Amino acid sequence: MKLSKTLAALLLAGIVALPGLAAAETRLNFVSWQKGEKGYGDWWQAVIDEFETTHPDVKIDFTLMPRDGYSDAMITQFAAGSAPDIVHLTSFEYVTFAENGWLEDLGPWIEKSGMDLNGWAGQSVCEWDGKTQCIMMLYFGYIMAYNEQILAEAGITEPPKTWEEFLAAARATTIDRDGDGIKDVYGTGVHMVSANSGWTNDMLIYVLSAGGRWTNNEGKVTINTPETIEGINRWRTLVDEGLVPPGGAELDQLFIEGKVAMRLNGPWINAFLQKADPAIQPHLKYAASPMQPPLGGASNVLTLAAETPQEKKELAWEFIQLATSQKFQELYSELGASPAPRPGAVGPASFEKVPHMQLLIDATNAASAAGVDRMPKGLEAQNNEFTKLAAEQFQRMIIEKLPTEAVAATVQAEAEALQ
Amino acid sequence: MTDLTQPRPVTAPVRRSSGLFGIDLASPRHARKLGYLLLLPAVLLILGILVYPMLLAIEISFHDVKFATLSFGASEYTLKNYVKLFASSDFWNAIGVSAKLLVVVTSISMLVGLGAALLVNQQFRGRGVARMLIALPWAIPEVVAVITWLWILDASFGVLNWMLLKLGVIGLPISWLNQPLPAFSAVTMVMVWKGFPFISIMILAGLQSIPEEYYQAARVDGANVWKRFIWITLPCLMPVLGVSLVLTVLWVFRDFSIINVLTGGGPVGATETLAIMTYEEAFSFFRMGYASALGVVTLVICALISAFLVKKTSHAVF
Repeated sequence: MKLSKTLAALLLAGIVALPGLAAAETRLNFVSWQKGEKGYGDWWQAVIDEFETTHPDVKIDFTLMPRDGYSDAMITQFAAGSAPDIVHLTSFEYVTFAENGWLEDLGPWIEKSGMDLNGWAGQSVCEWDGKTQCIMMLYFGYIMAYNEQILAEAGITEPPKTWEEFLAAARATTIDRDGDGIKDVYGTGVHMVSANSGWTNDMLIYVLSAGGRWTNNEGKVTINTPETIEGINRWRTLVDEGLVPPGGAELDQLFIEGKVAMRLNGPWINAFLQKADPAIQPHLKYAASPMQPPLGGASNVLTLAAETPQEKKELAWEFIQLATSQKFQELYSELGASPAPRPGAVGPASFEKVPHMQLLIDATNAASAAGVDRMPKGLEAQNNEFTKLAAEQFQRMIIEKLPTEAVAATVQAEAEALQ
Repeated sequence: MTDLTQPRPVTAPVRRSSGLFGIDLASPRHARKLGYLLLLPAVLLILGILVYPMLLAIEISFHDVKFATLSFGASEYTLKNYVKLFASSDFWNAIGVSAKLLVVVTSISMLVGLGAALLVNQQFRGRGVARMLIALPWAIPEVVAVITWLWILDASFGVLNWMLLKLGVIGLPISWLNQPLPAFSAVTMVMVWKGFPFISIMILAGLQSIPEEYYQAARVDGANVWKRFIWITLPCLMPVLGVSLVLTVLWVFRDFSIINVLTGGGPVGATETLAIMTYEEAFSFFRMGYASALGVVTLVICALISAFLVKKTSHAVF
């Protein structure tokens, strides 16, 4: 009897208290592949901490979802009607969501809050179907990381500045030290595994350096132009001459282990360099990419889901405003070791903490000035299909030793058919 | 002798429970109902997590949809996905690769599994350790094992190329994952490595159930090792071999993670099976209707293979 009374009292207390608790705390879902990542992950956590401090009645459920399979999981969430309240996507996948009407038109939100996006790096990528679908979180340009010791061993005292110098350096630094038939060091590295955007992105570095593009500014496919073919041949020279690891995987890891002499990559390569062995780390340096204009473009975006309830949308928008504020954009440059998209967001602290910051800024500006983006204009909605078909054809070109011109013509026709 | 004229002692009538909805489920008359009732939770679970999604996938396959949301049924029914599928060279390539992999991986796995089981069935020192080592690949999580294999097979710095070069088997490093034939061989090798322990364990259990008297009688009749294997071991193992064959065939047909992590279906479609193609169409190209059609065709093929194998091996199994 006594037990029954106690249970009844607890139940009553629960019934009275629960609605109060629920009202006291709103939870916002935020899913990202960058949680826990050194640099960018630290920055997200700092924004969340600040948001929760200024909004004591709001908690952010920050969940890690690995990059592999990220878009699959997000599509499933959106399709099931349970999209995250704060939506974090890569720039090359957001169009898929926008095309399906899943993203909020941020235009009215920007206007209402008076947010100034003038000069915001890469923001034009977020314009789709006449609407502002997202806020750009990172626009970057590629730089070159190189192993000074390996270059010196090959008699090269200065990092290469042109394609010709780069090719010569790659040839000189591809070394079989003990003559056992196995190369111990490769000049550089290009992605050669799964036929995905890794192939087309790496090839685009060389295509851009020869004045080519996958598509022009009007969205017309330009793969069979002489410039693009010349660029493909530059990439092909590195592969055919065995100047790159034939495995073509884990290239950043091979670079920090001293098995690749030069690596062209985005600002995130800095996180890898921090993990290098102390014996190798002092020899790892940065320089401007010898391939100009450098590959670059939009990386990831922040936005809202159209179906999120209005109250939560308002809170999520406040979170976005905080993330894009001057204070947190400066912190982004500092912790992320890459220039934040907000104009004037690179402060003295960033320069002090990231000695190669000026290189990153120059690379970003160079890529931006040349209108470079990894996602080809006019193929945004078919980007995955394009990268697959192009990568497979170029794979076939290498395997079957087909003429570049013929393969470029095939890819040109298939890309046009996709459009 | 019992005095039948004695009056029988009066016993209190057995009080039966009124049961569910007034039905006495303990009575023999309602025993069948009780059986169905006990099965109900499992049936509901199967309907919810297996049958409903399967029916949903079949329905989606008849709609031209990119993303499968709950409102997909608003679009009209069409055979477009199936027409496109059967006209696609990628589909026939995937069928061919799946079939090749099925034959090669299943036959090698069965042979290796049988050989390993026969080996560890012998009496020798360290037999327990040998049995444990054989079972090890089966116990390691698939993705973890495949990532390890990725490093072993790395064309530039992998240990396999290093060993083959040192032994003089090859003159130049092989690009295991970037060339069609080596990539197919690599996938086969890893699948056999991962799949044969299960067959070995099954066969080992079967070997231990063969009565020793059979072999003793055969020896008396002068049968040599080979004859004893052919006329005693194999016939006695047939039930186990039949079950193992069906399970291995289905595993090879539907396996996704090994191929996806190793090659992603490449190079140039050399390892693209139906499972890989379905995933790609659904989650890379976002063509859920088309991917569902692929899934339905895969289901039909799997059902046909299973029915054929079960029929062929049923005399051994049952």
